[in-house]
Amino acid sequence: MNQTLSTKLLAVFPIAVFACLFAYLSIESSTFLSLGTFELILKQAVPTVIVSLGLAAVVIAGGDDVVAGGIDLSIPATAIICAAIIADQLTNQGNTLVFAMTLAFGAAAIIGAINAFLVVGLRMTPLLATLSMSVAVVGLTKVITSSRRIGVTDESIVFIRDGKIMGVAASVILTAVLVVIFYHALHRTRWGMNMQATGGSRDAAEISGILTRRFVVQSFLIAAFAGWIASVFVLARGSGSSPGTEENMLLEMVLATFLGAAFSPRRVVTLWGAVLGAVVVSALSVGFISIGVNVFWTGCIKGALILLVVASAAVATKGRS
Amino acid sequence: MTDALLKMCDITKSFPGVLALDNVALEVASGEIHGLVGENGAGKSTIIKVLAGVYKADAGTVEIDGHVLPDVTPRSVHDAGVRFIHQELHLVQHFTVTESVFMGQEEQTLLGLSTRAMRQKAEAFFETALGTEMSGNTLIRDLGIAERKLVQIARALIDNQAKLVVFDEPTAPLTSGETDKLFTAIRKLKEQGIAMIYVSHYLAEITGICDRVTVLRNGQNAGRFDEVFDDSAPAMISAMVGREIDELFPKTEHTPAAPRFEVTDLSAEKFEDVSFTIHRNEIVGVAGLVGSGREDLIDTIYGLAKPRSGTMKIDGVAQKFRAPADAVGAGIALVPRDRRHDGLVLDMSVSDNINLAALDTVSRGTLENRRAANAVATDMSETLDIRPRNIAATLRLLSGGNQQKVVLGRWLNKGADIFILDEPTVGVDVGAKVEIYQHIENLAQDGVSVLVSSSDPGELIGLCDRILVMLRGKIVAEVSTTDLGVDELVALTTGGATQEAVS
Repeated sequence: MNQTLSTKLLAVFPIAVFACLFAYLSIESSTFLSLGTFELILKQAVPTVIVSLGLAAVVIAGGDDVVAGGIDLSIPATAIICAAIIADQLTNQGNTLVFAMTLAFGAAAIIGAINAFLVVGLRMTPLLATLSMSVAVVGLTKVITSSRRIGVTDESIVFIRDGKIMGVAASVILTAVLVVIFYHALHRTRWGMNMQATGGSRDAAEISGILTRRFVVQSFLIAAFAGWIASVFVLARGSGSSPGTEENMLLEMVLATFLGAAFSPRRVVTLWGAVLGAVVVSALSVGFISIGVNVFWTGCIKGALILLVVASAAVATKGRS
Repeated sequence: MTDALLKMCDITKSFPGVLALDNVALEVASGEIHGLVGENGAGKSTIIKVLAGVYKADAGTVEIDGHVLPDVTPRSVHDAGVRFIHQELHLVQHFTVTESVFMGQEEQTLLGLSTRAMRQKAEAFFETALGTEMSGNTLIRDLGIAERKLVQIARALIDNQAKLVVFDEPTAPLTSGETDKLFTAIRKLKEQGIAMIYVSHYLAEITGICDRVTVLRNGQNAGRFDEVFDDSAPAMISAMVGREIDELFPKTEHTPAAPRFEVTDLSAEKFEDVSFTIHRNEIVGVAGLVGSGREDLIDTIYGLAKPRSGTMKIDGVAQKFRAPADAVGAGIALVPRDRRHDGLVLDMSVSDNINLAALDTVSRGTLENRRAANAVATDMSETLDIRPRNIAATLRLLSGGNQQKVVLGRWLNKGADIFILDEPTVGVDVGAKVEIYQHIENLAQDGVSVLVSSSDPGELIGLCDRILVMLRGKIVAEVSTTDLGVDELVALTTGGATQEAVS
């Protein structure tokens, strides 16, 4: 009894820490609790939300064991290379947006397929496979952009940055639609349940007649797809492609996705959890800026929070078994 | 019971070097619970796997409902209405009961999953078909093991197409209180006219629940009981065993000297109130089926698992082992059941492995004295007749028997007072077995106290002075091996007899 109580306390511990942080931020900053700040938080969260959807799919299909389970660290790199390809095509090569996006889609599909082949075909550890992939893709991005910023003035991209739909920022509305589609697919269909079963217990899924390898392959393709979609929002947020943005996005994506597990009632990675996690992480960044915390400290605090979340998840798992 | 639902005739299956099934017949009438019993290696799992389509039989036919299956595959068997309840639960911890029951067969409309309909179906199934209440929203990880077993059964039967259900050791992980829940469900299924094959080592369960019983021995039919009574267990055991202990064992009478290792009221997660004493010059055995707590007891003694309560004393001094290193320090040697994982470093040489536990004796400061180490290893490989006689050979290349001798050699080298041997001859050929038995015997002669845990009743009787019998987490009997028959020991481990009946 005592042990279950302490396990439960441990499980709510990360949430409590975040609640305290927010209470502190709203006291310190007069503008933190306002509609304008909230919209800013959501807008800032958009690319992270989308790549976190991809990571959530991979973790759901691969299991939440950080080393042996599913993980895809190459999604931010995918988003960055897609953004670079689109920016380069639009601005330097003078091609249309449709052409640029198709080309970027091809690149994302190749990355997803290679990841899937490495993990399912060659049985590589996802962590190693996708980390190496990420490094390679970031390098390739530098080749394409010569490590320079490429501005974009395409009106569709500008609309995603500045436009409003029914009075709400266009990027937020579009992302919300995407979240609903992902949620429905992964949590409300047989296909999604089978993917969850695959990650929950590979043996149990196999015995129930589920083709587990296929679902793992699909999860990496979904992740690459999420990276591709995110690239458009990365372009909009930065008014073009800029090198070096993937590092922060990687950190926020991992934090958001696993933080989401702490928020979910079953303590597992879910899409809602990942979305909520991404918003919380973005709120922290905005909050820190609004009270004037040094940018370098922000990174340090975020890293410490990742440790906290992952450690409490590990202890909770240990207590359960 | 004339109309046979399942007829397996003349099933033969061989693996390289082994004839696993030799013209075996298995017949199950519709609506009956048919027990399938036999010792380890008798062919129970093999014939079940043939029926499941996992193994392809070399010869023989499988007939269901009067139709011979032209091709026995997992799919064709499933379509014929046969379902398997595997020993492992295979459930997702964070799924709900409903999600688990419908895994791989979820119902959905164009709008998505029919969550509510599935939950209602699942809950209704538990009530009407299994005679128990179960909330569809409960998470698997919040359920007891018996309830998880029921979820596993529900998943196999929810489509209402099952005619024959095969239970493979369903009660192995359950405590005796929990088995009742399962039996209620099984009887309820029988009322609905579903036939069952019940594979179990627990003969008390077999006689309690089965209508007929087929006995296998060494891959052959060894008898069928068309009527089963409460006192049928002894007859089944003699059909199962039917052999005498061979002359593999060098046993001589030991005269146990002073007590050395005392365990008092030791309890842990899977066993409770275990007490015993091992004297100098004595070999004590532990018998028990998988799930009896036997393996957990050995792990706990050796510091691999935590005890809940109880004490252990060596020569009267209380001991606390937090890790295996503490047990080694106290003079205990462990030959683990899984030597490949826990006992040996397969990519190191024979010499390195032999010296692993006693490196300090062949080291000066922090440097290993190669020459001294190699001398020790050469000595040991001669004493134990380790082949090939090459101490530089990588262990991976040695046979199972010779690998086991290396494990033994390491502890002989280290010079432990207490030896714990867990399944010492698993995967060891007969020749090497005899040699290993001789070495264990020599240890006892030299004053060492030995504890042997084994799933082979013949080995225990041949080797030990006394045997502790574990059943469902308790020591249910402690018997001297003088004049103890294999059938009597099997009866004790399977709950088919009590200590009073044997002695």
